[in-house]
Amino acid sequence: MPKNLHDNVCDENIFSNIYKRHSKDLHNFLYYKYGDKLNPQDKVQEAFVKLWENCKKILPKKAKSFLFTVGNNLMLNEVAHHKVVLKFQETKPQSIAHETPQFLMEEKEYMLKLQTAISSLTEAQRVAFLMNRIEGKKHKEIAELLNISTKAVEKRIYGALKQLRQEIEGI
Amino acid sequence: MDRETLIKKWLNHDLTTEERQAFEKLDDYSSLIKLHSAVNKFKAPDFDSTSVFDTISTEIQKKQKTKTNWVKPFLRIAAILAICFSVYYFAGSNDTRVATIASEKTELILPDASTVTLNAKSTLTYNAKKWEDNRNLNLIGEAFFKVTKGEKFTVQTAQGNITVLGTEFNVNNREGLFKVTCYEGSVKVISDIKTQVLKPGDNFLILDGKFIASEKETFSKPNWLNNESKFNSLPFKFVLEEFERQYNMKVVSKTIDTNVLFTGGFTHNDMELALKSITLPLNIKYSIKNQLIELSRE
Repeated sequence: MPKNLHDNVCDENIFSNIYKRHSKDLHNFLYYKYGDKLNPQDKVQEAFVKLWENCKKILPKKAKSFLFTVGNNLMLNEVAHHKVVLKFQETKPQSIAHETPQFLMEEKEYMLKLQTAISSLTEAQRVAFLMNRIEGKKHKEIAELLNISTKAVEKRIYGALKQLRQEIEGI
Repeated sequence: MDRETLIKKWLNHDLTTEERQAFEKLDDYSSLIKLHSAVNKFKAPDFDSTSVFDTISTEIQKKQKTKTNWVKPFLRIAAILAICFSVYYFAGSNDTRVATIASEKTELILPDASTVTLNAKSTLTYNAKKWEDNRNLNLIGEAFFKVTKGEKFTVQTAQGNITVLGTEFNVNNREGLFKVTCYEGSVKVISDIKTQVLKPGDNFLILDGKFIASEKETFSKPNWLNNESKFNSLPFKFVLEEFERQYNMKVVSKTIDTNVLFTGGFTHNDMELALKSITLPLNIKYSIKNQLIELSRE
């Protein structure tokens, strides 16, 4: 039974629960949206400090949107928008053998194409798509995080997929 | 099920086993899977949850410290200000207070243009701010009032209240003596002993707690306004007290019966003359030593 005893987040237990539940999502959201140049980890930290400072005014169930809005604003404050290029991990040759130099080169080329393609997605598409693909979140979960409808999430993700394939494979 | 729906379902991590089989048979299955696994290489760097939380905690503690450091002194200052304000507000009160010392007379004008003349050693207090709502005065001693027409005008004394609408009257409120004289209009006097409405010339006199009927006044103004004190069948002690007030002297009269009734008066301008005019009729001798006047039988 959810108890509505607390009407703010000043309690340390509540605060750390909120931290556990939302900090990673917030971090990933900020990363996929703004890249790592502006240090999303710092913004997560600042957003939570702000949450604590305003803890008396914030209902526990509003904490998530507060954090996301504050994190987003902190990013926006920092810099006029620039193009986000996300990094990918270089594939380490798995077990030496099978991969011919040509395969490796093709692989590398594919990744670079993908990188450019991801950069040219809209912010909204990129965030939704990467959260879905990488973090394995369902549409509904993303919708809750971003405070938008499930339908909109689906549209963004499908749109992103279509655009990526178009740019990479020319389909 | 068409291709797009399948892909959408796949995107939503929502494929049933059958659907998964159908999805795997799609032409672009392999390219989708390739894209999927490639995209996964863009994974966000690991978020170091615990260390960030530690930083947050220390940050919060720092802020809390500085916060309390500010709040406490502020509360102290606020408390001091609150005390100062309440002392000013309550102890200082908003009353206007006018007092005269011995041998002093003063005339003052109230906010509604009514005038009050205060005789020696008298005190008048009133609230100027609330004057429009209630014309209330507090009087100790003697005063002559000339009240402009308007709302109820009340003079409160320890021995009774005088209520008027617009008139001229004199109130003499000394120890053992309470005398109200009406000179114009009408005056209502409410005391513990008696309540009476005075017409011009009427006197209301209470001596040592007893109401005394007295003659009509013939003057249009109290005599003390002309620097003269007149008494009509009043015990001699009140005459001596008034004398003390007018000349700031101390009168000693051990051997004399001060309850003898006295009719007459004295001037406020010449002490010798005044002294003579109150002692001669009663065959009393006087001697002056500094601030002390001794009276004795002849």
